[in-house]
Amino acid sequence: MDKTNSINNQESFAVNKTAKLSWFGFFMALPPVLVIICFVGAPILIAAGLSLGFTGGPNRIIALIGQEISTKTHWWGTLDGYKSVINDPRFGGDLRVTLGVTVVATTIVIFMALGMAIYRRVIGGRLATILVSLSLIPLFVPVVISAFAIRTFYDGTGFVKSLLTHFGIDFPTLTMTNSAIAIGTIWTSLPFAILMISSGLQAIPDALIESAQDAGASFIRIIYTIMVPLAFVPIVIATTFTAIGIMGSFTIPYFLGPNQPAMLGVEITNFFNSYNRPQQSVVMAFVIFGAASLIAIFYVWANLRSAKQSGRI
Amino acid sequence: MSNSTGSGGLELQGLKKILGGRVIIDDLNLTVNKGEMVSLLGPSGCGKTTTLRMIAGFLIPDAGRVVLAGNDVTNTGPEKRPSAMVFQNYALWPHMSVYKNVAYPLKLRKMNKSEITKRVHNVLELVNLMHHKDSRPSQISGGEQQRVALARALVQEPDVLLLDEPLSNLDAKLRVKVREDIRDLQRRLGITTVIVTHDQDEALSISDRIAVMNGGRIEQFSSPQELYDRPATEYVANFIGSLNHLTGDYSNGRVTVGTKTIGIRPEDVHFTSTNESNGFEATVDHVVPRGHFSEVYLKREDAELRAFMSTNIPAVGEKGYAVIKKALIYENGKLLKVE
Repeated sequence: MDKTNSINNQESFAVNKTAKLSWFGFFMALPPVLVIICFVGAPILIAAGLSLGFTGGPNRIIALIGQEISTKTHWWGTLDGYKSVINDPRFGGDLRVTLGVTVVATTIVIFMALGMAIYRRVIGGRLATILVSLSLIPLFVPVVISAFAIRTFYDGTGFVKSLLTHFGIDFPTLTMTNSAIAIGTIWTSLPFAILMISSGLQAIPDALIESAQDAGASFIRIIYTIMVPLAFVPIVIATTFTAIGIMGSFTIPYFLGPNQPAMLGVEITNFFNSYNRPQQSVVMAFVIFGAASLIAIFYVWANLRSAKQSGRI
Repeated sequence: MSNSTGSGGLELQGLKKILGGRVIIDDLNLTVNKGEMVSLLGPSGCGKTTTLRMIAGFLIPDAGRVVLAGNDVTNTGPEKRPSAMVFQNYALWPHMSVYKNVAYPLKLRKMNKSEITKRVHNVLELVNLMHHKDSRPSQISGGEQQRVALARALVQEPDVLLLDEPLSNLDAKLRVKVREDIRDLQRRLGITTVIVTHDQDEALSISDRIAVMNGGRIEQFSSPQELYDRPATEYVANFIGSLNHLTGDYSNGRVTVGTKTIGIRPEDVHFTSTNESNGFEATVDHVVPRGHFSEVYLKREDAELRAFMSTNIPAVGEKGYAVIKKALIYENGKLLKVE
């Protein structure tokens, strides 16, 4: 009987200890959760309220100062702010530029990163290591400095144009064009994409590639039937993060892009600061957020697909 | 260059491979007849996997030739060789189903869909995996994964099947079953097979011939029985089976003072209570039960011997006579005679 009691006591001690530990874990996780709720979650909700015409409470002052503020007409708000932005032809141009630059730059970044990562994975050696190391340099250069460097490099009086003029070639001035934004965003986005995709490809065991070779697959075939599918999740992560980063970028388009149409990152700032139209700037931010959410859904789908394939779910 | 060989199987001529400045394979010659199953047996680092990778085409030899089914393939890439390999960790592609894994080599050969389906179904039936054709590799057991890898190799109908330690990741019971399955399939299909293993039991039980490797060379290439009964070198004798070592001269079951190495298989040592035939006095030091037999350690002042006994197991401390029935006599590591 005593023995049974002792076992019961031990069990209840273990249960108590587990319960205490779970509370301890909860309190350990609480500070970052609270920070996110207070400093990220709440501002998002308040901004969403402003975009829908909730001009009271925390939005009262900004609604008083801002111009062209629509106020809610239903209990759920109003879509007048969204309508005014969508009907503005300027926004259409901005959105097209933003999506266009994002698609073009992301595609180039991913193909360049894939090329570099495949070269490192398949050929390897010192040169591949040096190239990958060099490709990481942009990570350590502040964006504002690289933006100015690119600007002076491709400017009307820049290095490229000056050099080619000596050979009688009239090279176009790229600064203040969307091409310059693409070049700048490729420069800033490439290191992360290379790191991500390279680590994904490096993690593929040699035997999986050799078995495809043994089955008769050519090099190109191995890339698209074995290597890319096996590194699918890192490639998706690199693609989504690059696309979302480029879509919301400010510094590069601000320094290198044209005045109009501009990328939405710049335009949102202009509407908020220069034109004093905070509601429209918040609406644009939510449109960008919507586009980014679609990319995020793709990311989640890719992760679920991978988990299913590997039998984790 | 095409050069015909008489065997129609596999021929390795004077192979040499240097990796990282170290000679891994040195002047290796081996002929595997068509339909034969040969094991490359040796400890880690002896060069058996390097040899297999040279046969498969993943490594190009620094010297020598690889002739597969009568054709010199020394400088041909693995994708063009008439061989198929089963990798140590099976190397199944996790993003493809069992069916797609097996069908992959056929798709590369641009076969029509119905032919691919027919051949894949045939080979999956052969390895008893039809019920798993839509499963992912992660959803099936290690033994089943091994069979998928085998099916993927067999579906290519290769001239030579290469197996790189295919059973090393399986538990002991499954290993015995899968090795029997492999042997059975190999016999039924009559496919020339080279298997790399460090497990002597595995090699002895499934091979027609075994090449025992040491330091990048083949020490002996014989049938399992000959390898066990007449190991050509002391190294092979030590590697295959168990061995008692004595130093001296051997004659008529008696060991006298001398310089030769005498190897005695434990099953060739008998322990009797009466001295019937040239035995020498010994005491049972300890006994280790091994299931269907016991390992009996016999001791006398100047020597120790192990005997494998399955009946009349003596007790510890029991005095009697150790009788040597057969001895392998070596001088400078080479077999002089079996007596």
